[in-house]
Amino acid sequence: MNPPSSHSQNALLAAVFSLCIPGAGQLYLRKRERGIGILVGALALAYLINWALANFQMEAIALWLWLVFALFWLWNVFDAYRLARGQTTYDRLGLLLAIVVIYAIGWQVTDINPDRLITRFKDVQVVFKALVYPDLFTQEGGSWRPSENFGDIIGKVVDRPAPDWLVQLGLAQKGALVPTPVLGKMAETVAIGLMATFLAIIFAIPLSFFAAHNIMSRVPGGTVIYYAMRTFLNVVRSVDTIIWGLIIVVWVGLGSFAGTLALTIHSIAALGKLYSEEVEHIDPGPIEAITATGANLLQVIRYAVIPQIVPPFLAYTLLRWDINMRMATVVGFVAGGGIGFFVVETIRKGGYEQYAAALWAVAIVIILVDYVSAKWRARILAGEVKVSAEAPKPFYASLRGLFWLVLGLAVFALCWQLSEIDLRKLLEPSPTFVKVVRDFVAIDLSPETFDTVLKQMLVTIFQALLATTLGGLAAVPFSFLAARNLMGGSALTLVVYYVARSVLNVLRSIEALLYVAIFVFWVGIGPFAGMLALAITTFALIGKLFSEAIENIDPGPTEAIAATGATGLQTIIYAILPQIIPPFVSYLIYQWDINIRIATIVGFAGGGGVGLLLNTYFSMLQYHKAGTVVAMIVVVVAAMDFASAKIRERMV
Amino acid sequence: MLKVENLTKVYPNGTVALRDVSFEVEDGEFLAVIGLSGSGKSTLMRCINRLIEPTSGRIIWDGTDLTALSPAEMRKMRRQIGMVFQQFNLVKRSSVMTNVLAGRLGYVSPYQSLFNYFSSADHARALKNLERLGLQDKAYVRADSLSGGQQQRVGIARALMQEPKLILADEPVASLDPVLSHSILKYLEQMNKEDGITVLCSLHFLDLVHRYSTRAIGLKEGKIVFQGLPQEIDDTQFKTIFGQEAERVTIL
Repeated sequence: MNPPSSHSQNALLAAVFSLCIPGAGQLYLRKRERGIGILVGALALAYLINWALANFQMEAIALWLWLVFALFWLWNVFDAYRLARGQTTYDRLGLLLAIVVIYAIGWQVTDINPDRLITRFKDVQVVFKALVYPDLFTQEGGSWRPSENFGDIIGKVVDRPAPDWLVQLGLAQKGALVPTPVLGKMAETVAIGLMATFLAIIFAIPLSFFAAHNIMSRVPGGTVIYYAMRTFLNVVRSVDTIIWGLIIVVWVGLGSFAGTLALTIHSIAALGKLYSEEVEHIDPGPIEAITATGANLLQVIRYAVIPQIVPPFLAYTLLRWDINMRMATVVGFVAGGGIGFFVVETIRKGGYEQYAAALWAVAIVIILVDYVSAKWRARILAGEVKVSAEAPKPFYASLRGLFWLVLGLAVFALCWQLSEIDLRKLLEPSPTFVKVVRDFVAIDLSPETFDTVLKQMLVTIFQALLATTLGGLAAVPFSFLAARNLMGGSALTLVVYYVARSVLNVLRSIEALLYVAIFVFWVGIGPFAGMLALAITTFALIGKLFSEAIENIDPGPTEAIAATGATGLQTIIYAILPQIIPPFVSYLIYQWDINIRIATIVGFAGGGGVGLLLNTYFSMLQYHKAGTVVAMIVVVVAAMDFASAKIRERMV
Repeated sequence: MLKVENLTKVYPNGTVALRDVSFEVEDGEFLAVIGLSGSGKSTLMRCINRLIEPTSGRIIWDGTDLTALSPAEMRKMRRQIGMVFQQFNLVKRSSVMTNVLAGRLGYVSPYQSLFNYFSSADHARALKNLERLGLQDKAYVRADSLSGGQQQRVGIARALMQEPKLILADEPVASLDPVLSHSILKYLEQMNKEDGITVLCSLHFLDLVHRYSTRAIGLKEGKIVFQGLPQEIDDTQFKTIFGQEAERVTIL
């Protein structure tokens, strides 16, 4: 670089500039990105410190915070000086100082109190005991039978007056009591997830064509429709299912139907976007060929587009079904219906054995769904080629096809009933609904409201950051235990591998919102409880992704390092770590992005943050302010989405 | 008869693909279109059935000005003009039968076709065409399980379903193993001679032009630089069409 002798004056000048304004020296040296980065960083840190000191009780560490900030400032001066002289810069030192400030503030803001984890451990033992002995079976006269709670969750048989069709068939007397199966809350949850996926497909497929550029550019005026549709899908998608639930409840009232609708709306937008991207990526060749035969637009779509998109559409739908089943377990927190509603009720009554039983039921169902969806997706994407020499029969002509058709229709009818779908309710919204929507759209932008919302939003962001860090840190060592290529060596390590994988799978199957109750009982209501619940799901998800990343590493370097006579630990450090650090960091950033979304809703179960505020505004009927919260969430989530995608793009 | 008059195509990005191209094709001719890649062969083919809208000029087909037709009228007209593509452009996941039947889409009721309904006459016609191309036993397999040469034959069968008077073949053998080129071109020749279908075919190899075409036009940078009989393409003509760097290659 520049020789130091001729540039020492230059270096002093740069240092002085940076002393006056952080980043100015770097800008002067034409390091634009670095200069702006340091300037923005310094401003953000100063704002955060100031904001935290004004809003939270943290006088004790105020001095320390400003001291670290001063060090950051000094580092920037030093950095400009060294940069000008062409010497190596200590980038990581600056980053470390900034991180120290951010985490110190995050620690205080999310109200972290590790001592509470210990001092109140005795109290929470009740919950842990309940988790080991969930209320599913009771012992009666020496024999085990399903408990009352089992019936509420899974289903039971009760005596009910005979239905009309049974009477007409002559199988029962009118008014006689017959044993009738009544399905429980878990069945309701499954129905909600299935119906929402089904309804979402019906709407998302046509919408996706309007949001696909290659289709719309063939229609006059299509480009305008394309942009309008894209924007619409993006906005709808950025509002979480839970928040849709709040709005829908006002429309159709509390119950399974509200939950189904909320899930459906969010899924339509999410699926619509994925579908349309798939439509845009199809091979244009067949379209050209079919057009050349004289086919019209509908025929082109039917013969050139649809055959190409069926497999990816199916795969995305299965993925969405998995997500919807998970969301169906928590949508009841706000919308009523499903196991979420059951959990809210049992916790209110302090029934931790019942709560624990619900968690186990959720875990079993979701693990099953996860497995089926993943297997099926893999089969679709593998896309086996079927070769047969004869004309295929229509599917309804074979016995097997008929069986699936009848079964499908029966499941559909049952789900329709369980999810309490009542389309008339859509047309007769409660009288307050119009007012609510009007209030909701005219958001409250007064400084007081804005400050309150911003404060909770920042708490939420810090919650997500700390949960990602905590969960991620715990996941790193654990993921090695859950990696088959490392643990497959002996029978003993294989057992460890299976245990580790199972722990991750069980923990991952339960949504953060359902965990919050445990931590509220343990450390009290507030952001700390929400953060811990998020950390658990982060640990499980990141642990799975990390272990898969480890399993996917190139075995070549491992072999080469081991061949030099290195120990196991040395092999990990020299052959495995360099390969897994980039995907790990990328996953962590992605997880932070996801966690911010989830952190916006943990407040509904007592986890603090912006969700608590939203819940409060809704229950106090202050829809103007609720609108402000939702708008803020949409903006922050969209910004994070964009930023995390950009950062990950640069890393890969 | 096909008459192309002063055809010019300028793409939105400013590329001039065709400059003032004029030529005539008599019914029953096998016209070869030669030129380097990027010389405008594909654009010319697609302007004729208006898969690409020409910027100016006229295309007269049997006395009708194709450039003046409404989209609906053009769709009707496309039934008479079959097209065969370099990349075959089959719907890979659909069966061979469905791909071939798709050639009938311009004729059948749009609503019935949306449910994959084709009359038994159409099915019979499809089987007959497949038989003609030696693919009768492949009717119900998925298109992507066929080899390249077989896929191109399906492409020709699809074009035949239109009962076309004209076939536009855009580099029909460029993606195939050279040994398969003759097999495909023989089928096109057969359609040309037996059914009297006019064929416009773009080709790379001069050997193939000599062997199959009755007349040839040469395109260079969107302009016609040669028109005449295949035998008239001597070394000088060759260098004008393909440039000074070009060398003749022989295929089988």
